Amino acid sequence: MAFRACALVLALLWASAAGAQSPPNPDDELSRIPAEEPKPPPAAPPGESRLGQLHRKLYVESATETALLRSSLDVPLPSPNPPTIEARLFADALLEWIPRRDLSVHFSARAGLRAGDDIPFATHENIRVDFRELYLSWQPLGGAFLDVGRINLKSGVALGFNPTDFFKTRAVVEPLSVDPAVLREDRLGSLMLRGQYTWSFGSISAAYAPRLTSVTPVYTNSNLPSVDPMFDRTNAHHRLLVKGNVDLIADFSPEVLFYDEDGNVRVGANIAQSLGKKVVAYAEWAGGKEPRLANEALSYGVRTGSLPSAAASALGATSSEQFQNDVSAGLSYANESKMTFWLEYHLHQAAFSRQDWSTWFADGNGLAGSFLASTLWYIRGYAQEQQAPMSKHALFLRADWTDAFVFNLELTAFANINLYDGSTLAQVTASYSVTDFWSVAAIGAAYIGTRQSEFGSLPSVLSGLFTVRRHF
Amino acid sequence: MSSPTNRMAFAAAAIAALVSVTADAQTAAEIVVRADQIRNPDQPFRFVSTLTEYVSSKPQAQNVLAIFSKKDPRTHQFRNLVRYVEPPRDAGKAVLLDGRTFWFYDPASKSSVRISPQQRLIGQAAIGDVLTVTMSIDYVPTLVSTESIQDANRQARESWHLDLKSANDLSTYARIEYWVEQQTFRPVKAKFYSDSGRLLKILFYRSFENTLGEERPTEAVILDAVDSSRVTTIKASGHKPADIPETWFQREYLPRLQTE
Repeated sequence: MAFRACALVLALLWASAAGAQSPPNPDDELSRIPAEEPKPPPAAPPGESRLGQLHRKLYVESATETALLRSSLDVPLPSPNPPTIEARLFADALLEWIPRRDLSVHFSARAGLRAGDDIPFATHENIRVDFRELYLSWQPLGGAFLDVGRINLKSGVALGFNPTDFFKTRAVVEPLSVDPAVLREDRLGSLMLRGQYTWSFGSISAAYAPRLTSVTPVYTNSNLPSVDPMFDRTNAHHRLLVKGNVDLIADFSPEVLFYDEDGNVRVGANIAQSLGKKVVAYAEWAGGKEPRLANEALSYGVRTGSLPSAAASALGATSSEQFQNDVSAGLSYANESKMTFWLEYHLHQAAFSRQDWSTWFADGNGLAGSFLASTLWYIRGYAQEQQAPMSKHALFLRADWTDAFVFNLELTAFANINLYDGSTLAQVTASYSVTDFWSVAAIGAAYIGTRQSEFGSLPSVLSGLFTVRRHF
Repeated sequence: MSSPTNRMAFAAAAIAALVSVTADAQTAAEIVVRADQIRNPDQPFRFVSTLTEYVSSKPQAQNVLAIFSKKDPRTHQFRNLVRYVEPPRDAGKAVLLDGRTFWFYDPASKSSVRISPQQRLIGQAAIGDVLTVTMSIDYVPTLVSTESIQDANRQARESWHLDLKSANDLSTYARIEYWVEQQTFRPVKAKFYSDSGRLLKILFYRSFENTLGEERPTEAVILDAVDSSRVTTIKASGHKPADIPETWFQREYLPRLQTE
């Protein structure tokens, strides 16, 4: 019965999206045409701004989030508990100043206030400023560019997981949502020198980010600095990235990448290709020698003083490294009803296998478990800060519907599915542009799964976020 | 059993019909080529496109785009670079459309994603109707009839009625009905259909002005055929010849595209 009702509702939704059609009457057509507006007086076209002008993208946003926590967990979470309510008010700025045709200055930052039941009031923790970018860009030749400063350098063609986005680690601060698209928006750049040369048949670029500080412990929501560039997140290693793409044949231009972090080398490749009119296929791969995720996390915890060396040895951590592959491969499909769908498979070979998950839950259960619990949760916190998937195999689904039901309403849904235990992180977003300047959004997320599954073992079971944004 | 005379008469009629069809096909192709020349300058150029969305006759949203267009010397198809100027929430976004290669860049996420030809008509990259396209290459035309139709200003125009079928994956629409004025080769009206044969949009060309050496339409009025409350006007202005280097059509250049 319930199934039939759902089917009927879905059929009605589909019919409303598809719309009934009858041949238009020519007179009706002409009556719909707006009157021709009088020609405005000649002025500089809006797309042709003058040199020296500041291009800006500014908005102020209010965000209120609430979460429903599980009453108990099989692997108990060390205190403090995650917030059940949190409110933020912030201003976000993206500025670009072009004093000369060959010179530009770029600045990007977010600053605001926050309060939540996990943060004492009023302390410096209520004020947060993130300086994402500040760099100078010089174009000495036609296709040549030299950039210096704090730059947010991203790579990759996939949507849910980007193995070749080597500069993503630790760069995301206080994300508003777990949506990968949102995670890309508020992250810190690295201080670097970057050169790029573009030909008519390809391009090559090299970026070097020096080590400026040493590594620091994993951050939590309640120990973020208020006003600090946090170079410890972005410049704690010597990092070099060289990448290039060549148009081998028409419409086929794969990108290859070489990355070196303190002598540890990873290589990667990106391909994206249209298949007909509606489908894009893409694949992203990176590989290199590295320890398994748990070992890497424990060794990092010991190195930064967050974990006693006894905790690491209790979990049998080793320092051995193997060649590990990371893959993200998928398809996107767009239809005539303004809907786009993505299906993506993720492999993170260094992450947890089915056996690792069993061990994680077995180690965390019981009296002995409570002793090890904080170490076990440290591994998951580390993976989150590294923007690394916890499981070896995962599936990512996403759907986006523009002008859903009414003009300017966008519905987005995604699901991140652990392929071992079927547990799922699902999120639905409805965003509505009220005017060109005002928009509102409501986001709901659910962490679905058994108590001994990746997403079912998390403290949150449901969360909701409501935002109001004003652009200037 | 037919007589030799009948068979000769049939063959003559068949040849005449074939010649007629061939002549029609050539004429249809030439009409579309001439109309393309009216719509688009031959040289590389830039312009500003202002899109106004009307819902129930009231303006609801406006987008301003800076567009750079240049013909690919190999395919003779236009390549387009689009940078969003307004509204503030979209400023700085950019799209590269070069043959089959479509990339969308968002300065907020600092990343470029590949989009399919269909996505030219969806969401943030819904720019399929502002792009410079060569209909004579993207579509195979057939002359349907000659007829008198009313243009956007309710003036009667003696027009060729053409039926255009998609010739490749690059075409935005599967089929177009196209009306071109007989004396001037000016485009008057078009109807756009999806792959499933559904009428999506009705377009009227208007505001013909001298632009880069030719009287060209500077405004398109698009009537949404699915939602009859929605109308979009696209005004093109500030046409200028532009030196557009080939390097600009690389995806890595997209974040660096400026409107100056």
